[in-house]
Amino acid sequence: MEWVKKAFWIILLFVVLPWVLTRPGSFDADRLPNRNPDIANGERLFHAGGCASCHGEDLAGGLELNTEFGTFRVPNITPHPEAGIGSWSDADMANAMLRGVSPEGRHYYPAFPYASYTRMEPGDIVDLRAYLDEFEPRSDRNAEHELAFPFNLRRAVGFWKLLYLKQRPVISAEDLGEHARRGRYLVEAVGHCGECHTPRSLLGGLDQERWLSGAANPDGEGRVPNITPHEDGLADWSVEDIAYYLESGFTPDFDTVGGSMVEVQENFARLPRADLEAVAEYLKAVPAQASDSR
Amino acid sequence: MTRFFLVLATAVLMIPAASLMAGDSPQELRHELMEDVGSGAKTIGGMLKGEKPFDAAAAAAALQVWADAAETFGDLFPEGSESGFGTEAAPAIWSDRAGFDAILAEFAEASKAAVAAAPQDLDALKAAAGPAFDTCKSCHEDYRIED
Repeated sequence: MEWVKKAFWIILLFVVLPWVLTRPGSFDADRLPNRNPDIANGERLFHAGGCASCHGEDLAGGLELNTEFGTFRVPNITPHPEAGIGSWSDADMANAMLRGVSPEGRHYYPAFPYASYTRMEPGDIVDLRAYLDEFEPRSDRNAEHELAFPFNLRRAVGFWKLLYLKQRPVISAEDLGEHARRGRYLVEAVGHCGECHTPRSLLGGLDQERWLSGAANPDGEGRVPNITPHEDGLADWSVEDIAYYLESGFTPDFDTVGGSMVEVQENFARLPRADLEAVAEYLKAVPAQASDSR
Repeated sequence: MTRFFLVLATAVLMIPAASLMAGDSPQELRHELMEDVGSGAKTIGGMLKGEKPFDAAAAAAALQVWADAAETFGDLFPEGSESGFGTEAAPAIWSDRAGFDAILAEFAEASKAAVAAAPQDLDALKAAAGPAFDTCKSCHEDYRIED
């Protein structure tokens, strides 16, 4: 019965093993803190995370992201129980943001930047959720994504996660002072700056060896700038210059922020000054990297 | 006869070369205008930030540069100049010409008002230049290529 043995191994290697490797996990609700949510903190996280920039000022979704993988359509995250996330538990919210898994146990596409949010504290997720609960419920239902084969195989995102979903920080703490560590949290986790400012591999994962050294604009022409302390980036900018830019939108030469960064800057301008300085200190501490030649 | 045509041909061929040397393609001219606007911004911004002492004459000159640039800038985006010369003009300028003209008009109005206000101290400069500065960001958000 040779063919039975062969069939067994084929099924094990090509069906069972991939199925097991790509299985969406679930968040352990015991990791959620047992305290009242801090809505003010949730609001700060909302601006630092730029949720409105994709999900809309009213969180009803609908924005289309045209990428090389196809078109992603941003969902409704208002407190509506059916069309939005109103029926989610805090554990569901943590599972979504920290592990990229839906309450139905399916993978989200990493166009939702959970590969950055995965570094967030569970307590911050609870606070953010409490702030989102204050928005008006909306019944908008947005169309599904339109993705080219094989990217439309949602389960395959499990493989992507094996490669690219890592909780550990990009820049290790030994290189950073305390203030810069706060900056690290804002940049690497919440602000997800790396998602635009870092080049990607063919499979769409971030190339952490070239962290923040700039990348092609994901939805249009031009480039997203290098924000490392290299001369291709922010070598000539002081910590104060960077903080001032985030606050006002002006570069040291009084050129202005432009393109998609305008929204980011206007969100960051709503954070406490100390947070902007923390981001600036972190940026001046990351390894200086030359920009990719195009 | 041959020599005449040779000379004529050389002269004709030099016309495009001459315009390149003069740097007067729309792309180059508009880039230069924006650099002038940028110098003005640096002057005014430096005063507002406290890096340079307030100087009414220098401020007035910078504001005048803005107002002058705003007048002619819109004429430098003809069809056919969408690319080349490293232009940072976004395609939206042509696909949404009305929007571009509108924000440019805001810049023009704000700069003219600032010139007319003739600010004589730092607070007056801030009040005068502020509205014009806001238009910088709005325009660059939609009508200039990233980076």
